[in-house]
Amino acid sequence: MSREKLEQLGLKLPLFPTTSVGSFPKPDYLVKARGEFNKHKISESQLRELERKATAFWIETQEKLGIDVLVDGEMYRGDMVAYFAERMPGFTEGGLVRSYGNRYYHKPVISGEVEWPGPVTVDWWKYAQSLTKKPVKGMLTGAYTIMDWSFNEHYSDRRSTAMALAAVIRKEVEALIAAGCKIIQIDEPALSVRPEELPIAIEAMDATAKGLDAYFVTHACYGAFEYIYPGMLDLAVDNFDLEMSNSDLHLLELFRSHPFTKDISFGVVDVHTHALEDKDAVRRRVEQALTILPKEQIWVDPDCGLKTRTVEEAIDKLRLCVAAAKAFRN
Amino acid sequence: MSATSPGLHLSSTGSYPRVGDTAELQVLRRTIAALDRGERTTADILDAENEMTRRAIADQVKAGLDIVTDGQIRWYDPISHFAAKLDNVQIKGLLRFLDTNFYFRQPVVTGKPARRGTFVVNEYSFARNALGHLPTPHDKAGKLAIKPVLTGPYTLAKCSLSEPSGNGSGESATSLEGRALAYAEALAAEIAALAQTGAELIQVDEPAVIKYPEDWAIFERALAPLTAARDKVASAGRKLELALYVYFHDCAPLYEKLVALPVDIVGLDFTYNPELADQIAAEGSPKPLGLGLVDARNTRLEDPEVIAWQIERLLPKLKGERAYVGPSAGLEYLPRDRAFAKLELLSKVRDAIKGTKRAAS
Repeated sequence: MSREKLEQLGLKLPLFPTTSVGSFPKPDYLVKARGEFNKHKISESQLRELERKATAFWIETQEKLGIDVLVDGEMYRGDMVAYFAERMPGFTEGGLVRSYGNRYYHKPVISGEVEWPGPVTVDWWKYAQSLTKKPVKGMLTGAYTIMDWSFNEHYSDRRSTAMALAAVIRKEVEALIAAGCKIIQIDEPALSVRPEELPIAIEAMDATAKGLDAYFVTHACYGAFEYIYPGMLDLAVDNFDLEMSNSDLHLLELFRSHPFTKDISFGVVDVHTHALEDKDAVRRRVEQALTILPKEQIWVDPDCGLKTRTVEEAIDKLRLCVAAAKAFRN
Repeated sequence: MSATSPGLHLSSTGSYPRVGDTAELQVLRRTIAALDRGERTTADILDAENEMTRRAIADQVKAGLDIVTDGQIRWYDPISHFAAKLDNVQIKGLLRFLDTNFYFRQPVVTGKPARRGTFVVNEYSFARNALGHLPTPHDKAGKLAIKPVLTGPYTLAKCSLSEPSGNGSGESATSLEGRALAYAEALAAEIAALAQTGAELIQVDEPAVIKYPEDWAIFERALAPLTAARDKVASAGRKLELALYVYFHDCAPLYEKLVALPVDIVGLDFTYNPELADQIAAEGSPKPLGLGLVDARNTRLEDPEVIAWQIERLLPKLKGERAYVGPSAGLEYLPRDRAFAKLELLSKVRDAIKGTKRAAS
């Protein structure tokens, strides 16, 4: 059981541990600073200082709210794939591609053999962990998603691309573990986009995490999970962090058809709406989870990263998660 | 080429990138951002859309295509661009479009979707006019054509939800099939209107059906009003062909069913299954095909000789030895410079075929 694994790692977490998916909104001063940095008006060290300030703010905020497993809030990141691609040899920046409406991003291009550039996230993890005694998650993007969200001009096919990336991400996982990180989240939001490729995603996660001494979480969202469940349970992780509320808990029906064998970080608040859910509605979501899953398997968090909300909205939504978890612990 | 392979056409498959890296290619993006800040009007957006549409058409002609589109520059996405123009449909949150990392606004059907105007007729008229104002390449006189593109009723329905309003008006649209048939009715009227405006070839995109083959019967029933609309146009003495395009999944398992549909052309995405070409070479096709042999989802440029070889072995197996060679899907999933390079690649493929024919003769 994963709870035993947590204890073996020296982590004593309460029932219904609370956490976050990863990103938090950047405070206004940081948004402005990122724009100024792009226009070469401030230096990299000036930007880093503000990112550290914002990270410290979010660590302190999570502590005050009573969250159990913290995240650094990704104050230093824009896009979850581009952040790694920009630092990894083998990638070049691609041209602009539309993501929706009038939003565009530079989609990375794999143009050579991908390599690990040395620790990418470790210093940020160490900094965040130095600010709290509570465990801070290491936050990575999975090989399958990086493959799916990049152009590939080098490898012969999608599988070999994902496997090459997995070897690189594994080195980052090892570096996080060496630094003392015990809970590592490897996000795979592209997990369900091609159900026929689930075996590739599983093989890549095996190559990334299997045999390493940490508690692994993966986050997936916007997914057609009905096409990959229960096969997705073979992913080499201990905990699936899933967007439950935005989909009106319809995933629970799937879990009825086949037991959910891993821990779950159960999204109890919708991150795509400015509106704050009713406290009782959030509590009912946990109740629903308990009709399918043993209490020892359930973690409580928002559906997805909170970066698109305002700072105040994000804090209010996190407060709701903590209140719901505490109600059930008692 | 016409002297050697009269049935071979270089064709767009739909969309084209709306932005590029230079300031002049950012005009639409910047104008929309300025509108959001209250610094521009919707008239400015229309100007920017017109400019980028002209550029998209000019790029396709410059690259040597025979059949072009307007690049779908005005489309927010392939779903809400249609659904938002219907009564009793609300446009809601973002959802991932099939297996892409592109998001569309999901329509929620609250009653029977009802047409209150045309979908793309004005866009088609503008594009045809814009094409007419471009200098015609010397070898293309009388051969250049522009085709309008519609998202098909099944894909629209699959990407929508139903939330009946409770007043009884939405009874027929509460199911997937109900939505598909309601969308089909609206699209059938659009086909008639496009034919009236002069369209002789209309592309209907149904990517969702190859991903969800369990819905085939619904898809087929929803296609019937569209082919009936074409037949009505034809019976009035006008020329009109419907080209059904599928992409973003392996279409090989459905190949035989696809080419048996009562459409005039079937466009296929060859990038999901390397054996599809072998299958077609073995089985042949009872109708002309759209050959999506150029990968519209990856920046890597294919070897034109390899694609030319594929075409040479497939063309004799297609009815009338007629094929529409193009990208595997719309090109807006690529950066603009790469999208143009993929179009230029099509011309290189044609040159490679010409070279072979010359060598053979």
